[in-house]
Amino acid sequence: MLSSLSAHMPVLQVIVLLIAAPLCALFGNRHLAWTIAFIAALAAFVISTFLLGSVLDGSVISYHLGGWAPPWGIEYRIDAANAFVLFIVSLIGVLVLPYARQSIEREFEASTHTYFYTCYLLCLTGLLGVAATGDAFNVFVFLEISSLATYALVAFGAKRDKRALTAAYNYLIMGTIGATFFVIGIGFLYMVTGTLNMADLAVRLAEVGDTRVTRVAFVFILVGMGLKLAMFPLHLWLPNAYSYAPSAITAFLAATATKVALYVLLRFTFTVFQFDFPVQELTFEYVVMPLALVAMFAASIAAVFQKDVKRLLAYSSVAQVGYMLLGVALLTEAGLTAGIIHLFNHAVTKGALFLAVGCFVYQIGSSRLGDLKGIGKTMPWTTAALTAGGLSLIGVPLTVGFISKWYLIQASLETGSLWIAGLIVASSLIAVVYVWRIVEVAYLEPAPEGRKAKEAPLSMILPTYALVAASLYFGINSELTSSAASQAAKALYSATDLAVPPMQLTPSDPPSEGAVQ
Amino acid sequence: MDHHFILRVVAKMLMPPIMLYALYVQFHGDFGPGGGFQAGVIFAVAFILYGLVFGLDSLRRVVPPAIVRAGIALGTLLYAGTGIYSFFKGKNYLDYSALADADNPVAGQHLGILLVEAGVGLTVASVMIAVFVAFAARAPEIKDTDW
Amino acid sequence: MSPELAITLTILLPAAATLLLAVLDKRPNLREAVSLLTAGALFVIVLGLLQTVLDGAQPTAHWFDVLPGLSLAFEIEPLGMLFGVVAAGLWIVTALYSIGYMRGNNETNQTRFYICFAIAISAAMGIAFAANMFTLFIFYEVLTLSTYPLVAHKETDVARKGARTYLGILITTSIGFQLVAIVWTWVVAGTLDFEQGGILADKIDPTLLPFLLALYAFGIGKAALMPFHRWLPAAMVAPTPVSALLHAVAVVKAGVFTMLKVGVYIFGIDLLATTGAADWLMWVAAFSILAASIVAMTKDNLKARLAYSTISQLSYITLGMALATSLGVMGGAMHIAMHAMGKITLFMCAGAIYVATHKTEISDMDGLGRLMPFTYGAFFIGALSIIGLPPLGGAWSKWYLMLGAADAGQIIMMGVFMVSSLLNIAYLLPVVARGFFMGNTGPLAYSVGAAAVPSKGIQEAPLWCVVPPCLTAIGCLLLFFYAGDIYTLIEPVAFPEGTSQP
Repeated sequence: MLSSLSAHMPVLQVIVLLIAAPLCALFGNRHLAWTIAFIAALAAFVISTFLLGSVLDGSVISYHLGGWAPPWGIEYRIDAANAFVLFIVSLIGVLVLPYARQSIEREFEASTHTYFYTCYLLCLTGLLGVAATGDAFNVFVFLEISSLATYALVAFGAKRDKRALTAAYNYLIMGTIGATFFVIGIGFLYMVTGTLNMADLAVRLAEVGDTRVTRVAFVFILVGMGLKLAMFPLHLWLPNAYSYAPSAITAFLAATATKVALYVLLRFTFTVFQFDFPVQELTFEYVVMPLALVAMFAASIAAVFQKDVKRLLAYSSVAQVGYMLLGVALLTEAGLTAGIIHLFNHAVTKGALFLAVGCFVYQIGSSRLGDLKGIGKTMPWTTAALTAGGLSLIGVPLTVGFISKWYLIQASLETGSLWIAGLIVASSLIAVVYVWRIVEVAYLEPAPEGRKAKEAPLSMILPTYALVAASLYFGINSELTSSAASQAAKALYSATDLAVPPMQLTPSDPPSEGAVQ
Repeated sequence: MDHHFILRVVAKMLMPPIMLYALYVQFHGDFGPGGGFQAGVIFAVAFILYGLVFGLDSLRRVVPPAIVRAGIALGTLLYAGTGIYSFFKGKNYLDYSALADADNPVAGQHLGILLVEAGVGLTVASVMIAVFVAFAARAPEIKDTDW
Repeated sequence: MSPELAITLTILLPAAATLLLAVLDKRPNLREAVSLLTAGALFVIVLGLLQTVLDGAQPTAHWFDVLPGLSLAFEIEPLGMLFGVVAAGLWIVTALYSIGYMRGNNETNQTRFYICFAIAISAAMGIAFAANMFTLFIFYEVLTLSTYPLVAHKETDVARKGARTYLGILITTSIGFQLVAIVWTWVVAGTLDFEQGGILADKIDPTLLPFLLALYAFGIGKAALMPFHRWLPAAMVAPTPVSALLHAVAVVKAGVFTMLKVGVYIFGIDLLATTGAADWLMWVAAFSILAASIVAMTKDNLKARLAYSTISQLSYITLGMALATSLGVMGGAMHIAMHAMGKITLFMCAGAIYVATHKTEISDMDGLGRLMPFTYGAFFIGALSIIGLPPLGGAWSKWYLMLGAADAGQIIMMGVFMVSSLLNIAYLLPVVARGFFMGNTGPLAYSVGAAAVPSKGIQEAPLWCVVPPCLTAIGCLLLFFYAGDIYTLIEPVAFPEGTSQP
């Protein structure tokens, strides 16, 4: 049974969570709901590890939903690029759950906790589905599943701060606009090619050639996904959403949502459109690159002036997305590798940082800098985790942040742009300023009287340190992430994998004649 | 509530046809416009009509919130579960031909669509009722007697 | 033990000791003993490695790959050996001294102090024995971060500001300039391994070489090349053992050591000489030497004066590298040892004065020499070494540096060295003179601090504060006679096969 199950891994990655989600809501008990959620998330993580291991050598796994062969049916297509994304998303998904169990006890009523887990699992389902699928419209479907769940999850923070409701609503409006742009782009593609399967689209688009429709389709998809991944200036939903959401959700979203959106953009740009079209090169060179540079500086500078640590880290995230886009916009395989490895490294770093801040919120009820004075003495482990994450953000050697910086600088120097390398380091130095503000306040300021702040409970410290340990481990031994990222870049850069016959895990019978359409 | 008398009588008379029509739309989805989404909404309309005319408390007695919650969850599970069943027959997820014998895949497709649409219908109906109750349960600004 | 194991131990032993130190927080005597024992063990291991290197071997150790093609690896060559011996040897002295100072002043957070100390030494060893620029950069950053809590130790507003300047300048230069230079080197040369003769020959357009060198030179902020020197005086807010560590043993020596390594093993002295890429650096270093000396003369705070003196002395070594001659390199390498020994004496004396009398300004110290003859005697010997007079070690390094300038045909630079010596006299000897020859006579003319040890009219600092500087003062003297051994050690680096020797 188990061996035959392994053939269904790609779809199990998504539906295990999809089935667990309503189960959480069915029984009214929140402890049972957490258990179900955790088992499902853990299973999803194990599956993603298996998938990553299978495709690291460059092979591609293809799974036909419903037994329908593509391009008639929906195909799940796993190669190194999305296996990597699946891995990091499911890792964060499973690490945040034990943390969330404790932290939401103090954030909103216990009667709504089951719905929290349901929404969480639906969000995770959506994100993993976006990454796993090989069908363009399926991407939209799962994108909407995850987005709607996200809006609800952000709104859960309303008990602590009523502004979460407006933040969620704002996010809803902007997110829907983004998704609409995206689906319009898909619609245009369908219009000229008649297919929705991404591999098939690549072939047909090459035949259609460079027409106005293809150009517009590309731009619509870029804008739609740009909003989802918080590309400057489409990032306006992010600071509020991250600041007012429950702590566990901020950590989860910061580490996953924008990364998956970036993956979708990369998938469409490289695999579907295949860079055959001049509009792509022009857009990346003249639009995305300058916007990425602006994001790196503007967002970092905005972060320096924030008084709330969560908001500060949110702006920092916008800047980090700028780094990823910069790597991609260099338009070389090395740049793409740099962007993808920063995708992973930033997920780990920001996840650790937001989890640590969440520990502060749990214990003292606030994340404002002024309330964190001298907290290094009473909450040493949490503050140490925050410092470690901050060092990774700066890019100190032996942390993942350094690995990303190295790859980015190397990629930009290889294209001959010394000034881009200079801009990368200049914006890192701004990061030093805002990280060190936090470190100084936490360690060097005297603690205010009468503040009760014990160390956070173990169920919150352990996931935080798991991510901190990951950020240090992958900073010291980057073999796994480097090879995965370069394989992913290679997979995206090479022509559509129709040349490489995809590995079929299931013996799927072709649908017989007269089947119901 | 005497001046609502006509409404109450007519509503009570209309509710069964509405539900019947919903079922018609549900099963008709195979052959024409229809299917689970539309049917679910129409099915919920019957209950919403009841709630509008007879009051939210009556609606809650007829359809307790726990049932609504269960409906939402079970519908999704029915859909997803149909796909899981295909695993046991060695086929891919949501391969409906696994639901019948190997020599009659059309029957399998037929049964499969029926089941998943039933799941969709159940979920959509429950969700619509839940949404209605959520909005209607907010404190009223106009009292009933001021109509 | 095998050389490989020895190298790994030199780095891991102090790091492991930090765990022990953390546990022994409440048992200060045991904690101090652990500190001293670790220092002693480290020195023994380093001496063993020294023997191996003197026999002609180049021990290596390879830890692991961090990025594809870039590994954390170690290889001991003569320059690194010299720095390693200096650092390990002077750590024992500093450890002894810190015990006296911290207890004499009743400082807080002593465990944190010793832990950061140990990590700093571990990092210094890593820098000394690094086989490639990547490894060196990693430990360079670890050194910066581990010394930050030491500078901010007192946790006052002043300390915080000073620490902020310290970290700000060092991180800005290392990430902003040095990292770019390193990646650039990696991209053009394909390797970052240190190799005799450099790795950049024929790999890069010669007109870009001065620019790359500038990125390195200003990126190595720890070498305090102007205008990125402000962190040194800013770090004076730290307790004096930290200043001794920073200004003699670990941080600044790591900086100029890196400067020498870059010059000799990344660029190659021949490449620098033929392309003249380092000419501009000569002038910047010369300016640093003179400007810092002049500023030193204006400072009344003893530690500030010594800080600017250090900036000046570090630029000696930078200038030695920039002269792009073998003798310049020899002089620079020797100066690492000579200056370390001399400066640590001066700083420890300054600390002893503070512990005994709580005085920091030179104008308050008139006549103190008569009350603290040992401290001032050591100060005098250290000052003579810095000035460069025989029979102290500093004479030799200055001699070779001037020879290097002559070899390069740079008469002006020779003049700079000589003028600098005069300026050294001008800002160091008055301290000694005022201590011995001025002020009121009589032992009761001064109110001294509680830590002073009264004994027959002499009110010296506690023994643990006076003995170390006296030891290092004797060391300055010994280095004069052992300079030949240093010469023999550095010879293969400065004079590789095929070049003539004087």
